[in-house]
Amino acid sequence: MKYQDYYATLGVARDASADDIKKSYRKLARKYHPDVSKEKDAEEKFKEVQVAYDTLSDPEKRAAYDQLGQHRPGEEFRPPPGWERHFRFEQGSFEDLDLSDLFERFGGGIFQGRSARGRRGAPGGGGFAMSGQDYEVTAHLSLEELWRGAELSLALSAPEMTPDGGVQRVPKTVRVRVPRGATDGQRLRVPGKGGPGAGGGPAGDLYLNIALRPHPLYKVSGHDLYLELPLAPWEAALGAEVEVPTLDGRVKVAVRPGSRAGQKLRLAGKGLPTPRDGHGDLYCVLQIVTPSVLSERERQLYEELRRIARFNPRGHLE
Amino acid sequence: MTIETLRLHLEEERVIALEELLVASGLAREELVELVEFGVLEPAADAWSFPGQALRHARRAARLRDDFGLNAPGMALALAYLERIDVLERRLRELECQLLG
Repeated sequence: MKYQDYYATLGVARDASADDIKKSYRKLARKYHPDVSKEKDAEEKFKEVQVAYDTLSDPEKRAAYDQLGQHRPGEEFRPPPGWERHFRFEQGSFEDLDLSDLFERFGGGIFQGRSARGRRGAPGGGGFAMSGQDYEVTAHLSLEELWRGAELSLALSAPEMTPDGGVQRVPKTVRVRVPRGATDGQRLRVPGKGGPGAGGGPAGDLYLNIALRPHPLYKVSGHDLYLELPLAPWEAALGAEVEVPTLDGRVKVAVRPGSRAGQKLRLAGKGLPTPRDGHGDLYCVLQIVTPSVLSERERQLYEELRRIARFNPRGHLE
Repeated sequence: MTIETLRLHLEEERVIALEELLVASGLAREELVELVEFGVLEPAADAWSFPGQALRHARRAARLRDDFGLNAPGMALALAYLERIDVLERRLRELECQLLG
């Protein structure tokens, strides 16, 4: 088993008072709570802080933890002989356990731990039925995959309860089909495919977070796509028919005479599919680009245009 | 090693009954009623069933309660602000999409 320094995680001394531990936990929880934090790895850090606090905030667990002695973080160690008897901890084998698993089992049953957070069974029910843990995985998908729909294989390593009440990690592969209408940042759910429940409680759910890989052409907002469409100055002035790539193939788009940069042309239904058979839209955002090199003839024509044009773009500034 | 093919569910495809929402979120009935009174959770048209998104909000509320010791008015306030941040971030994203690079 690898050692984790819970005191270091909470940033307190080994002889810190219960009050100091609580204060430090609150500060770190505010900083890393995944519901309010924008820190990188907030969720991971918050879990570490929480595991540490679970153990150090309970005097009995803290005493048991202190008995393990101090080791370097990550160092392999075995609890001293008799440790488990002294603390009424019924062990299987220590080898395959995380330190956190150990303390979750401590004092009976992994479901007393806070890993079943927010799922403490029906309040007021009085029974001990507990829902299983929810599992959560993130899938990185390309825009094309979202558009076509994708089938994914997810490799999970799930802690499960053994018949004798211990914990073991079980490798598991599940195949999922991302449904039509899913988009970036969405959380999809497979009911009942999380951890098993206890005491007749229902199993947890499996959640899949959709993360979209950046696309070289399209930007994505919900189910709408945005494409930057460059125009030559004369195309913007005179109007043009230009070809635009969509996920659905190329289409011709009419640009009206006198178009301005930043204007949006909406191609209805050319965005990502939405639930219930709809589609988002594709917006072409017009950009006017000027050639950086002009031929002699081009320069003459531009100069002639300057001579005869009565257009003043800065009239409102005068 | 087991392999099985599963069907994923979009949040908005779902309607959740009150009892299911209580069990799945870990909120107490009185807390949920208060969150509805504050207007941060909205039952669907027929009484006391909720749109799928409600579960995400209710779980968030329960986490904030557990981890920061918030009461129902505190949860309602935090949820309202977080919801507002979500809306602003969506709008920001939409506008960023229109910036010419």
